[in-house]
Amino acid sequence: MDKKTSDGAYWEAWQTSFMNEAFTTLRRFTSIPFLPEKMERVRKGVTPRETIYEEDRLKVYHYIGEGEPRFKTPLCFVFALVNRPYIMDLKEGRSIVANYVKAGFDTYLIDWGTPTRAERFLTTDDYVNGYLLNVVEHLRERHGSDQVNLLGYCMGGTLSTMFTAIHQDLVKNLVLLATGIDFSTREGLINLWTDPRYFDVDKFVDTMGNIPAEFLQSAFLMLKPIANLVEKPINLMENIHRDEFVDDYLHMETWLNDNIPVPGEVYREFAKYLFQQNLLTKNRMPLGRHIVDLRKITCPLLNLMARNDDLVPCAQSEPLNDLVSSTDKEKIIWPAGHIGLAVSGRAQKELWPRAVDWLVQRTD
Amino acid sequence: MNDNMNKGFDQVAAFQKLWTDSFANMASVWSQFSPASPPSDEVRKMRGGMLKVLAETWDEYMRTPQFMEMMKGSLNGALDLKRMARDGMNRVHEQFETPSKEDIDGVLLAIRHVERRLLDRLEGLDDRVANLDEKIDKVDQRIAKQENAIERREQTSKTKAEKPAATTGAEHSPSI
Repeated sequence: MDKKTSDGAYWEAWQTSFMNEAFTTLRRFTSIPFLPEKMERVRKGVTPRETIYEEDRLKVYHYIGEGEPRFKTPLCFVFALVNRPYIMDLKEGRSIVANYVKAGFDTYLIDWGTPTRAERFLTTDDYVNGYLLNVVEHLRERHGSDQVNLLGYCMGGTLSTMFTAIHQDLVKNLVLLATGIDFSTREGLINLWTDPRYFDVDKFVDTMGNIPAEFLQSAFLMLKPIANLVEKPINLMENIHRDEFVDDYLHMETWLNDNIPVPGEVYREFAKYLFQQNLLTKNRMPLGRHIVDLRKITCPLLNLMARNDDLVPCAQSEPLNDLVSSTDKEKIIWPAGHIGLAVSGRAQKELWPRAVDWLVQRTD
Repeated sequence: MNDNMNKGFDQVAAFQKLWTDSFANMASVWSQFSPASPPSDEVRKMRGGMLKVLAETWDEYMRTPQFMEMMKGSLNGALDLKRMARDGMNRVHEQFETPSKEDIDGVLLAIRHVERRLLDRLEGLDDRVANLDEKIDKVDQRIAKQENAIERREQTSKTKAEKPAATTGAEHSPSI
C-alpha cells in the first residue's frame, strides 16, 4: 500500500472511532436519568424465604424451594458480622443460596441483625456458643437430625470453624469461603494495619464502643483506593448504557454500602487474639470456658479461597486443611476476588455446581 | 521535639516518593502510545496503565511504616478528641443530673455480668447433671449385669434339680 492510501485508511479508522465514541457517549448520557428508577428496582435477596427463628436481633431465614427437600440434614449459612448476609442471595443468577435450594437442601441463613449499644459487650463466645449453638439446636429439633451442615463466609467461616472445633458432634460437613484462620501472613493490608505497634485496639474499642459501620467501610475502601474511588466510577460511566452491567453494579453497590457496626468486644477479640496474636492456629484461642482446638475438627471440609482476595488472602485460609484432623478435606483456589468468589458469573457457572455436588455426595 | 520533626520529615519523604515513583512509572506507560490504533482504544489502554501504576504505588506506600505511623497518629488524635468531647458531655449530664451514655454503659455492663454469672452457674449445673446421668447409667448397667447373673444362676440350679428327679424315676419302674 502506498503512503497516500495508508494515510487515508489511518484517518478513516480515526474518524470511525470518533463517530462511534460520540454515539456511545450520547447513549451513556441518555441512560443517566433512568438510574434512579433502576436503583429502586434493586431487591435485597431474591429466593423466597420465611423467618423461622428469632433471638434478640438475630433472625434465621428458611429458603423455600419449588419441590420437597431431598436431604434430611439441613444446611445453615453463617455470614460475617460486618455486612448484611444477602450477598449470599444477591440476585437471579448470582445466588449461592439458590444453588443449594435447587439441589434439594433445606437451606437456612443466619441474619445476625444490626447491633446497638446494648450489644457492645457481646463476645465471640456469645455468638459461637450462644446464638450459633441455639440456632443449630433449633434446626436439629426442627428436622429430627443429629447434625447440620455449615457453610461459613469470611468472618462467618471463622465463627463456623470455632463452632465445629467445640461442637464437632453437631456438624456433619463444613464448607468455608474466604475464611481467615492463619493471620501470621503479611500479605493483606489489614494484617499490617492491625499490628499492635500501630493500632491500639483497647483504646479504640474503649472509646468507640461498637465499631462504626463507616469506619469498617472506609477501611475496606482503602484496601484498593484507586480501584474503588477512581476505576469504579469510570467503569460505571463507560458502561452505564448496558442494562446488565448497571443492574449488577447497583446490586453490588447496594450491598457494599450496607455495612453494619460490629460489637466492640467481638472486634477486640478478633483484632487481639486473631490478627495480633494468631491464637487460632496455635490452638489457644479462648472462647468462654473453651479453648478452640482445630485438631478436634474431623468432619469433611471444603475450603474455598479466592486467588485475588485482598481482604482474606489465600495464605490466611489455606493452612486450615493441615490443622484439622479431617481425613476427607479439599481446597479450591478460585481466580476471583473476595466477593467474586461468591457472585461472579464464572463462579456461579463453574465453581458452585462443584461445591454443591461436593455436599450432595456427603449428606443424607 | 526532634523525634517528632524527624518522624514528620520521614512521612513527607515517603509521600513524596509515592508520587515520584508514580510519575516515573506512568512515563513508561505513555511511551507505549501507538498512534496507529484508534484513539479511544489507545486512551483506554493508557488510562488503564496509569491507574494500574497508581494502584501499585499506593499499595506499596500503604505498607510503609511511615504511612502506618501517620494513620496511628490521626486515629489516636481522633480518639483523644472523641474522649474529650465525651468527658465534657458526661460532666454536663452530671451537673444537670441526667443520665449519660457512660451511665447507660455501666448499667449494660452490670446486666452483662449478672447474665454471665447466671450462665456460668447454669453451665456448671448442666455439667453436674451430665456427670450424674453418667453415674446413673453406670449404676444401671451394673444392676443389669447382676440381674442377668442372678437369672443365670437360677436357671442353672433349676436344671440341676430337674436332672436327679428324672434318673430316680427310671430306677424304680417295674419290670415286666
